[in-house]
Amino acid sequence: MNKKMHWGLWWAQIRSVIRLEMRKTFFAKRGLWVYLLALMPVVLFFADSANVLRDRDRRAELETTHPAKAEALRSIETGMTKDQVVAKVGEPYGQTTFTFTRRNESHSRTVYRYTDGANDYVFTFRDDELAQIRTNELRTIANDSLIFATVFQFFFLRLAIFFGCVGIFTNLFRGELLDKSLHFYLLAPIRREVLLVGKYLAGLIATTVIFTTSTALQILAMGWHLTGPSMTEFLRGPGWGQIGAYLGVTALACLGYGSVFLAAGLLFRNPIIPAAVVLLWESANPFLPAALKKISVIFYLQSMCPVVAKPADMPALAALLLSSAEATPAVWAIGGLIVVTLAVLALAARQARALEINYSAD
Amino acid sequence: MIASPETTNQGAAAPPPIERSLVVFDNVSRFYGEVLGVNRVTLAIPPGITSLVGPNGSGKTTLMNLMTGLVRPTRGDIKVRGVATDDPERLFRIVGYSTQFDSFPKGLTGFDFVYSFLRLFGDSHADCEARAWKAIERVNLAEPAKRRVAGYSKGMRQRIKLAQAIAHDPQVLVLDEPLNGLDPLVRAETIALFREFAAAGKHVIMSTHILHEVDMISDQVILLANGYVVAEGEISGVRSEISEQPIQVQVRCDRPSAMAARVFATDHVVEVKLHTDGGGLLIKTRDADKFYRLLNHIALEGISIESVTPADDNANSIYEYLIGGEEATR
Repeated sequence: MNKKMHWGLWWAQIRSVIRLEMRKTFFAKRGLWVYLLALMPVVLFFADSANVLRDRDRRAELETTHPAKAEALRSIETGMTKDQVVAKVGEPYGQTTFTFTRRNESHSRTVYRYTDGANDYVFTFRDDELAQIRTNELRTIANDSLIFATVFQFFFLRLAIFFGCVGIFTNLFRGELLDKSLHFYLLAPIRREVLLVGKYLAGLIATTVIFTTSTALQILAMGWHLTGPSMTEFLRGPGWGQIGAYLGVTALACLGYGSVFLAAGLLFRNPIIPAAVVLLWESANPFLPAALKKISVIFYLQSMCPVVAKPADMPALAALLLSSAEATPAVWAIGGLIVVTLAVLALAARQARALEINYSAD
Repeated sequence: MIASPETTNQGAAAPPPIERSLVVFDNVSRFYGEVLGVNRVTLAIPPGITSLVGPNGSGKTTLMNLMTGLVRPTRGDIKVRGVATDDPERLFRIVGYSTQFDSFPKGLTGFDFVYSFLRLFGDSHADCEARAWKAIERVNLAEPAKRRVAGYSKGMRQRIKLAQAIAHDPQVLVLDEPLNGLDPLVRAETIALFREFAAAGKHVIMSTHILHEVDMISDQVILLANGYVVAEGEISGVRSEISEQPIQVQVRCDRPSAMAARVFATDHVVEVKLHTDGGGLLIKTRDADKFYRLLNHIALEGISIESVTPADDNANSIYEYLIGGEEATR
């Protein structure tokens, strides 16, 4: 058989393995939780968008019943009295008063709520003097981008895709060893390396479809409350680039974590232990020396995220985790991730070659 | 049995012609940690039907797993018709293996099971479909082939595994307890299939712990005990000993009392015990051939036989009887 025929045969065999595995990975009952994990942030973003829409309607309605000009509201300063505030912007749509006693003296705290139809203003008076002004802006694309980046990097990359890949990729070999059905493949005239590639690609297709669909739905859910013009402006600007980057990072996360957990399923009887070790390693990434940082998946993924998730009120430890990736050019990040993936797959292939069927020991 | 060659031609691209027609074990040992699987096995198995015989744990399955590369030898070398067992790409084009494992990839129908396996050869859909149906028809499973394997009876599962093993028309057919769970008629058809394979100059290597099956089917026999090959040769040498030993058979059927009355009327059945659940009986007979012929008659008379499973608790004692002398000298 010449080389060209070999490649043709291997490709046909890989496609056959993919066909068989797809059925198992997409429709397995035990994989249902992966779908739930992927859908969780979609539900959260839809709920958030629904809340923003409801809030926008509420503000618009209040603006008609309690009209207040934005300019007048912005001119309010601390130290003013209630009467001065009311004289400038009228009666508030909402008012709450607390009274309390301190050192035998009676005090009050009063909150006035106004809206100009877009932003909410909360004025807090101590006794009769305005002590604090808080503004709740109607959600903007900039806010949304930051929220999305935080959820994406904190939850989606580090937990949802991570554990989704644990569930799908470790089962490709280990699951069949436990079901005592792996010999089905090993009795066919197929190189173990070809089998490994077929199974890996099947897992990669399944996870990529599930999680990139989730990413796309999250973006859709997040943008649901945006008005037409602001959405158009966003898409004309960085919009499509960011969407493409998030989808790409999702697919690359499946590529990287997939290889790690495929190898784990071959090397370890209990995949929970390597999953915990990898999770620890990925979490410890910010504290590692530069050279060691690069032997991880999260390092490259964070480098490619289009928005740095670092809200001002984020805890210091969490901020450290999110800002760990140094500015690595996308080409290097993709290249590095592919090198890590290929190295792990080579290790897995070596293990697959030595694999024996001894179900009683597994 | 052909004596194994003293030296092997490992470095050469093509094995010598004689090796291309043999399954050769050259001083093969396999240990599972400190547990012995098989030890110092040297064999050269010619085409025809060869039975690996031995009690449970004697090393039959290990020997078959070794010749199909599912496990690797700790020591020694194995060639199947000149092909190394660590070369699955070449090996499984000439080998079909029906394993003892009674588990299947989830959600597959009988047809899917055979067809998907054939697709792994890299062949076209039409070709694989035709070959899958041919194999399924050969084991008389066409009617339930589109049903899920999970709903098959034990006998049907045995047959679908056999269909998979023969679907690519292998030169070497390796079968682990292939007749277990088959009813008498299917058993006879299956044996005929093995004979057809052997007549075409192919290898049929099967394991069994039922000695009367060996007598009925085999051209040659390899006796195993505690991981060692203790005897090998043509079946005639052990036939007389086998016929003197009683065997036990579990039969599941719809009318066990009627069957008990029927079998007791013969002179070769020495004991019958009805199952407590009323769904079968245990029969002890001194003549396996007559007993299985009788079962065929009973099946034709209208008693529905669900399965026939050798329950030969006495197998160990028979082996001790047959091989005790050799073990004693070890």
